[in-house]
Amino acid sequence: MKGQHTRGVLRRRDVIKGAGAVAAGVAVTGFPAIAQNTSLKIGILTPKGGIAATAGENGLRGCQWAVERLNKAGGIAGRKVELVVEEETNAQQTIERFNKLVLQDKVDMVQGVVSTGVALALGPVVEDSKKLTIMWDGTTQDGVTEKLPDARYCFKSTDNECEAVMASLLAIKHFKGKFKTIAGINPDYSYGRNNWAAFKAILKRYGIEYEVVAEQWPKVGNMEVTSFVAALKAAKPDLIFSSLLFADLPVFMQQAHAAELTKSSLMVFPAAGWQHTSLKKAFTPENMLFGHNTLYFGHPNPTPLQKEFVDWYVGTHKDYPHWEADRAYFAMESYKTAVEAAHKAKGGWPSQDDVIDTLKSGIKVQSLGGPGWFRKDNIAEQTFIQGLTTHKNAYDFCTLSTFDTMTSDVLQKPAGADFWKWIETAKFPV
Amino acid sequence: MPAPSTTEAARRNRNLCAIGGGVLLVAVLALLPGVASPYTLTMILPVFAYAIALLGLNLLFGTSGLLSFGHALFLAIGAYAAAVMTGHWGVKSLELVLLGGIAAAVVVAIPVGFLSVRYTRIFFGMLTLSFGMLFHSFLIKFYNVTGGDTGMSVKRVRLLGLDLSHLSRVEFQTGPLYYYALVLVIAATLLMWRIVQSPFGLHLRAQRDNARKAEYLGVRVHAFRLAAFVLSAAYGAVAGVLLAVRSGNADPELAYWTHSGELVFMTVLGGFASFVGPLVGAFAFIFLRDWLMGMTEFWRLAMGGILVLVVIFVPRGLAGLAADATTRLRNQFDLRSRR
Repeated sequence: MKGQHTRGVLRRRDVIKGAGAVAAGVAVTGFPAIAQNTSLKIGILTPKGGIAATAGENGLRGCQWAVERLNKAGGIAGRKVELVVEEETNAQQTIERFNKLVLQDKVDMVQGVVSTGVALALGPVVEDSKKLTIMWDGTTQDGVTEKLPDARYCFKSTDNECEAVMASLLAIKHFKGKFKTIAGINPDYSYGRNNWAAFKAILKRYGIEYEVVAEQWPKVGNMEVTSFVAALKAAKPDLIFSSLLFADLPVFMQQAHAAELTKSSLMVFPAAGWQHTSLKKAFTPENMLFGHNTLYFGHPNPTPLQKEFVDWYVGTHKDYPHWEADRAYFAMESYKTAVEAAHKAKGGWPSQDDVIDTLKSGIKVQSLGGPGWFRKDNIAEQTFIQGLTTHKNAYDFCTLSTFDTMTSDVLQKPAGADFWKWIETAKFPV
Repeated sequence: MPAPSTTEAARRNRNLCAIGGGVLLVAVLALLPGVASPYTLTMILPVFAYAIALLGLNLLFGTSGLLSFGHALFLAIGAYAAAVMTGHWGVKSLELVLLGGIAAAVVVAIPVGFLSVRYTRIFFGMLTLSFGMLFHSFLIKFYNVTGGDTGMSVKRVRLLGLDLSHLSRVEFQTGPLYYYALVLVIAATLLMWRIVQSPFGLHLRAQRDNARKAEYLGVRVHAFRLAAFVLSAAYGAVAGVLLAVRSGNADPELAYWTHSGELVFMTVLGGFASFVGPLVGAFAFIFLRDWLMGMTEFWRLAMGGILVLVVIFVPRGLAGLAADATTRLRNQFDLRSRR
């Protein structure tokens, strides 16, 4: 699949039609007609193997659905979209794949990237290559510090801490007065460490008295969590906060259930939505604070767009989408909206700078999970959903009984602000 | 003056052929930026870096008989040294960064090597693997110092004092840095050739073939192995600096065991018994992986399959295959000449 032009997105008949149109365009108006009649090549960087493979697959499906849909409607400002998919692996190799997309495949723009570790290395390369790139879930934050504050070509996802901030606020809303001792089990990398630190900082901000009785740091994707569960059981915390989000999360939940931790402790899991279908009712408790990030497939009142997508996803893949599909859709829809707005304003095919300026202007798009836009500093604002779990549904996994929706403009620090100082002074909705 | 023996003449011919081939290869690589695409050139930079690393690794593996499964440790040390020097200390000169990387690698290699070279075969491999993973854990755990999983950024460097910040990254990599790395590869190759052909290299081969016998003959086995280990670490650090300068980032994956495995793969693919084998292996590995990644999402499986096939059917690697083909051709030519 990688490196191939995605099947179904561009068919031979489309190519022949396109070629005919190009020939006619050249005959009537001369060479510049080619620019508007050839397909738009969009490079995609997405994980295909390892711990982020399922997220990458979810994102790619969302992206392909977006492209099929917009191609059926005539493409972007009249140009059909063709995807060139490359694999996101580690930082060094992903930079090579990005170079291939830009230098060899000569794509018009790039989308994708799930890992912040990769995005942080790729960001300066994107700026240097001067190639518009919209990241699905990658930020250029080193910890919580933005390392590419003046980015022009690189558009980044919402800050990684959004879900932790929202979960912390909702933990206060739902569980205030019900806990005194807390424990954290978070993946041993910057995301996990910052989420845990953000949770504690927000509790402090709201004057919640707490005592940390355990801090566990399993390696990312580590499937052997027995000792961590034992440590948590021994600590007997009133509340467990965890940013586990890879395949280790269901394993942890099963063992936590076996150890009866799910009965004795309140649970706050801001990123559990990445594994939502694997968190079965048999071992995942009700009333657990559960983050679905920017797409909750089971929304009781979905937008027509979300309903259409979820129905297609379930029908085609016999699975239920999570937020990576929304991030990918948002990237494609933002690009489409910006190109078409710039095209309309200019009265012709816009330059890359025109498209970037339009994206930076804060043009709003309707994504699968809700509205979203980009700030002037190229950081996305999207709609987040988190709530309490229930077993009362037709699935074998948990859904939400009650949930809150917040846009990230109240969950992430403003441009240039220090995250920890912002937490101390921000006006939160809870 | 007596006429040279047939063996000496054959050796001289072989050397002349090797020199001629080397000069031709350097000429082709020097002219490549004029004809190859920028993408191809950006792919050749890691070939240069890995070629240097593999020259060092093969001093251990091919020449000394010690297979390290943790050699990526030294590439990571070189990369992180570049990140610290350019990012925290403000050092801009690549020459100083290279020296700093080598110094850091030597400082680590001496105690690691001291403990490791007392063992051979699987025990040496496991010990080096352990030290590599120890460093990887350090990089992940001490993220306030090392940047954790996200690593550390490496700033643009000056080459020979020249400030090339006006060039774009691609222009920098496909022009000045390309030639700089090419010169480094040539220098590293010549130096390694000299080392391997020296009495020191002879001592290493002797202890490889029969350590006890070599010891009886006066070879200080552990000391020579340690010297080879430190030298190979220095080569690894140079490679690490080049990789980090190219990508602008030093990340813990550089120290991970799979990266060490890739180094071994490249060496086996190229042929560890040949001096030029690792250079061939680096080239073949980078372009094979690039091709397979573009062909299939199961490229890791395909790479594994290729490694199995190489080990079973071409145990002397691509260089061995080429050497066999050359010998066969030469023999046929000699036979026809005699007729």
